[in-house]
Amino acid sequence: MNFETTIGEQNISILHVEGKILGNAADVFRKEMSEQLQIGRDKLVVNLMNVPLIDSSALGAIVVTLKSCQRSGGKLVLLNPQKAVREVLEITQLSTVIEIYDTEEGACAAFM
Amino acid sequence: MAETILIVDDDLDILELLKMNLEPEGYNVRTANDGESAVQSACANPPDLILLDVMMPHKDGFQVIEELKNIEDTKNIPVILVTARGQTEDKVLGLDTGADDYITKPFDLREVTARVEAVLGRTRPIKYINPLMNAMGDKFSEEGLQQLAGHLQAAAAIQKKLLPEQAPRLEGFDIAILLQSSTSVSGDFYDFIPLSETQIGLVLGDVKGNGIPAALLMVMIRTALRLLCHEEDTPASILKRINDLVVRDTEADLFATMVYGILDIANATFTYSNGGHCYPFHWKTTNEMGVLKTQGMLIGAFEEATFSSDICSLSPGDVLVFYTDGITETETGNGEGFSENQGASTNTVEEDMFYGGDKLADCISKNAELSASALCDSIVNDLTVFSGNTSTHDDRALIIIKRNI
Repeated sequence: MNFETTIGEQNISILHVEGKILGNAADVFRKEMSEQLQIGRDKLVVNLMNVPLIDSSALGAIVVTLKSCQRSGGKLVLLNPQKAVREVLEITQLSTVIEIYDTEEGACAAFM
Repeated sequence: MAETILIVDDDLDILELLKMNLEPEGYNVRTANDGESAVQSACANPPDLILLDVMMPHKDGFQVIEELKNIEDTKNIPVILVTARGQTEDKVLGLDTGADDYITKPFDLREVTARVEAVLGRTRPIKYINPLMNAMGDKFSEEGLQQLAGHLQAAAAIQKKLLPEQAPRLEGFDIAILLQSSTSVSGDFYDFIPLSETQIGLVLGDVKGNGIPAALLMVMIRTALRLLCHEEDTPASILKRINDLVVRDTEADLFATMVYGILDIANATFTYSNGGHCYPFHWKTTNEMGVLKTQGMLIGAFEEATFSSDICSLSPGDVLVFYTDGITETETGNGEGFSENQGASTNTVEEDMFYGGDKLADCISKNAELSASALCDSIVNDLTVFSGNTSTHDDRALIIIKRNI
């Protein structure tokens, strides 16, 4: 797994992840998100376009960050999850509590 | 006594910068500008913490950690890795190798101080005990590890007792179970609870997270289920109440997925609800593969979770297969080191790297005529062929229920 964080308009952090998020990679993923929160960036877009698979630790990271964002008045949204990841989000019904967008414009508009 | 930090970097400017930053905080600072002298310095006089650059000529940070972990006097020294920006692979590898934390270059000096303090804060209590243990003729690490292993064994034993060893014998049904654990304490669990002369409650679940906390959550869920299943009517209301009980007492990242249902032997029906778990398969003698697709939220993460119940009828010869994601996430044995070639490969290729629901469905269809335990063996064989070995990184569990013809 690899990622890069870019800062968009209105201080929205867009986390572009590449590769599977499994095991220790999920810890790194989680830490990157919590670092964004620590510096006050609680508007997070996680770009999952290049993520073929996530495991339960990655789900845990998303759940924890989602809750932290909500507590501080921000939001976490997901961008473009692929088939296998989308299935996991649907089976666990996280898709009912996290907003999912197909385009970056749409994801960023969620914070307007 | 001031704590000593060994800083290792081949960039002398960075060494100086970190030193100037950490000394005023009250630390003794030593420096080394390559991997070899870092190992020597650490062995000669073990520091309290090492701040270690990854990218160095000759011997890089990972090699240094590996060497230190193999030496008795240095293996417990906490290490913070300093990696270049964007080198996520390094961070993952670093944590795998045994680093305690990492800092990304270019770094904020305040962050360095905070991380150093945090890591030392975690390891300090152990160090204070260490001299005491030494004085008594014991090494803390060994003693501690043995104690921990003892606790783990106890937890594993309790857990084993909670899981039924054998599938229940039911008139008109053939049932097989499988549980493989990657560690002594399993995250996967199952249970069979007699509800009446003709009804039996059945659960298969997977607690996410690791070790003792996950095992405790499993025990909580199992106990709650055993109490509630006699009170509530529908599987959905049972899952709802378990969720509400558990969500108050767990951290957000500790949760479970599970399927709970009631098998009615007299009417040959299965009434079920699902809390975020992989959908069970229903193979029908008409050679159709159905999926028990009732939706519900994972258990223990959200207060406002909702669940629904559904029912299916089992004709003679029909098979239900419940499984955990350790089965479908089994990795292929073909393609050594494919984790390193990300970016080069396409998503579809990577998806093929995992066993997946489709292959499981195929395997069930092909072997559905067999007995439950023979079908179970076929699935295990198929997984072994697919992965090229029998060891598993994740827990795996299967329950197979076949209505006799």
